[in-house]
Amino acid sequence: MSRREAGPRRLRLEELLQRNVYDVDHRPHIVVDTSKCSRCDAKPCVRLCPAGCYTVVDGRLVFSYEGCLECGTCRVVCPLGAVKWDYPLSGRGVYYRFS
Amino acid sequence: MEMNQPSRFDAIVVGAGPAGATAALKLAEKGYKVLLLERGRGAGSKQVFGGRVYAELLRRVFGDLKDAPIHRWVKREALMLADGDRLVAVAYWTANSTSFTTYLGQLTSWIVERAVNAGAVFVDEVRVDRLLVRDGRVVGIEAGPDRVEADVVIDAEGVNRLLLERLGLVAKPKPAHVALGVKEVIRLSEKAVTERFGLEDGEGLAWVIVGSVTDYLPGGAFVYTNKDSVSVGLVLHLDAAVRGLRAHVHELVERLRLHPLLRRYWGDGDVVEYSAHLTIESPEFIPKSLVHDGLIVVGDAAGLLLSTGLTVRGVDYAVFSGFLAAEAVDCARKEGGFTRDVLSACYEQPLRRSAVYRDIVRRKRASKLMKDERLFRDAVRFAVKAASTIYELGEETPKLAEALEEAERAARLSKLSLALMLIRLVRGL
Amino acid sequence: MVRVVVGIKWVPNTQAVRFDPKTGTLIREGVPSIVNPHDLDAVELALKLRDRYGGEVIAISMAPPSAIKGLEHVLGMGVDRAILISDRVFAGADTLATSYVLANAIRRLGSFDLIIFGQETIDSSTAHIPAQVASWLDLPYVYYVEDVEELGGGRAVVRRRLEDRIEWYEIELPAVIATAMHSQQPRPVRLSYKLRAKTERRVEVWDNKVLGLDERCVGLRGSPTVVTKVTWMPEVPRKRQVFRGDPREAVKWLIEKLREEGVLPY
Repeated sequence: MSRREAGPRRLRLEELLQRNVYDVDHRPHIVVDTSKCSRCDAKPCVRLCPAGCYTVVDGRLVFSYEGCLECGTCRVVCPLGAVKWDYPLSGRGVYYRFS
Repeated sequence: MEMNQPSRFDAIVVGAGPAGATAALKLAEKGYKVLLLERGRGAGSKQVFGGRVYAELLRRVFGDLKDAPIHRWVKREALMLADGDRLVAVAYWTANSTSFTTYLGQLTSWIVERAVNAGAVFVDEVRVDRLLVRDGRVVGIEAGPDRVEADVVIDAEGVNRLLLERLGLVAKPKPAHVALGVKEVIRLSEKAVTERFGLEDGEGLAWVIVGSVTDYLPGGAFVYTNKDSVSVGLVLHLDAAVRGLRAHVHELVERLRLHPLLRRYWGDGDVVEYSAHLTIESPEFIPKSLVHDGLIVVGDAAGLLLSTGLTVRGVDYAVFSGFLAAEAVDCARKEGGFTRDVLSACYEQPLRRSAVYRDIVRRKRASKLMKDERLFRDAVRFAVKAASTIYELGEETPKLAEALEEAERAARLSKLSLALMLIRLVRGL
Repeated sequence: MVRVVVGIKWVPNTQAVRFDPKTGTLIREGVPSIVNPHDLDAVELALKLRDRYGGEVIAISMAPPSAIKGLEHVLGMGVDRAILISDRVFAGADTLATSYVLANAIRRLGSFDLIIFGQETIDSSTAHIPAQVASWLDLPYVYYVEDVEELGGGRAVVRRRLEDRIEWYEIELPAVIATAMHSQQPRPVRLSYKLRAKTERRVEVWDNKVLGLDERCVGLRGSPTVVTKVTWMPEVPRKRQVFRGDPREAVKWLIEKLREEGVLPY
């Protein structure tokens, strides 16, 4: 194993999310009508979703629910009401231990 | 096989956070048949807070806190104004602590366990989808295909008020009403936490940092010491963040963790959790009415959180409102029913008369001030520049007045606007 | 009517177990336990059969008392009865001793049509238990089962999917089957069922006073498996090659790369 650099290094978002415990449901608990997103230039969800569930790929918004922290930010900042937001069923989703 | 109405309860509490769990505990202690519903797995698995709880109201509700999961009693506070790799800190040290750090999930589990021991039925892993309404009054809840009825429902659903919104009792919050809190919990040894922060055993600290740590956006960073970990995170007012945030929010948190002046405290620690939660930033979040026929609203759902910029308190208010709700159920039963009027007299009015509620509403001005982007940029730059002129000396030693003038120039602030900001700040706080 | 027994394991959420490269140990602190996710496929299949034919689904698990939460989860999905086998003398069991206890507990349940297990567990992945239980009870066993297509008259037709084919088996009942992972979509927990599990239909706990098994055959004493050494896989450096562009070109590129690496034999 090689140590790339001495001292702490910045963690990528995926690495941060890997520190969490999830029990991901096969049913998405949030549904995004991405057809609305092409009309949205600002896309505040992309920078503000702390789990990075919203990304832009080839100019199109792509949503994935698996890393969701269940905070509700996307629901509040989406200017077009494209986010159909709810919590996961059956206790699934993120499982906080130290927060 | 199908059981659409398995049983009936005196009260149903939706959400086993600090408010809901307290309401369930106090109702069970009074002998009511109470159902406590929680969407998470076990108690506390969906909970996030900044890091500290004020003890006074908890003592009033729970008695002494001897067996409570207290990590450290906060005896050192600091406000830090950070501008790049310089910062000005104002510290407050005391031997008399009024707040403690913990993990909210642990505190909530502690309350839920007491509630179950007192006879409350706790059902987890169930998401409530709707408040059940008949003839204009709330008579129970719906979860998937199932319904359970009760004399009264206590809504402790938290900051995302899906149930109240679906009933049309509140609107979806505007970005100006809430802030996003994002936090990392960093594992250290208990000894390392104690020694590195200059604490003694069982002592903790709370820092608030404003300025460059949030890209000068309204909000701030926070640091709390837990038993063997540190909670490091930041809060961003969503309206300002929508307009002004350039990087992804996690980059701000990581930048904070690796801040050149701060990482010495925790940089070698392991990040064990990354969490996020919305927090209330405006009294306008409070619903017009905190009661309806058959319904009492408590905790975050009732908007009971106070963020002054220097301190944040919500957990003790949640506990207090849960306690009042349980008292109100007792009161309403004696007063002849769970109508809106009776519940208003038994819950809403006592709550609105309380210091808790008055303090939250009084901060309207402060909450406006806390959205003043100049405060987070210009005032921070001014203070840090002034301090660096005073403390970083070469051949010359400038007078205080010269240092302040130089800082004014650097921050592009006039004496007048500075004075006005100071006056507003003092009045606001 | 069918009577189905489902085996459940209460496992640490291994996704939450992290490796500390500094000390070379596993970080287990704060790791919550869950019902082995692949067992939920078994529960779902059992519930489907009950919904189709009527009858009863009984979940059974050997674990410490904390596993009551897991059994409450499957009761919440609609399982009719849940039994936790829990006794200090059962602790430290390997798969042989575990399957011995499970088989004897299942015998106590009287007649049944099917015993369904998940494909394997996320914390040990042996897939031993269903085969061993079938052995102890001298029953037919089929694994990687996707569905039970027919059931009745003392026989069942089960379908299983392998990498290159689908197979149908006609088996005599009672029988043991293991589901293929991800073959089912486990249903959500329901309030009414979970409430029932917390009040009137609680998890039953059986200790060895109930089962009366020879202590030499259970727990650590009944376990011939010896773990001599634990080692971990060295980190494989990733090449991090990314192809951007036309998907058809990407497939060609990927096949070429895999050939170069010797992953594809031809």
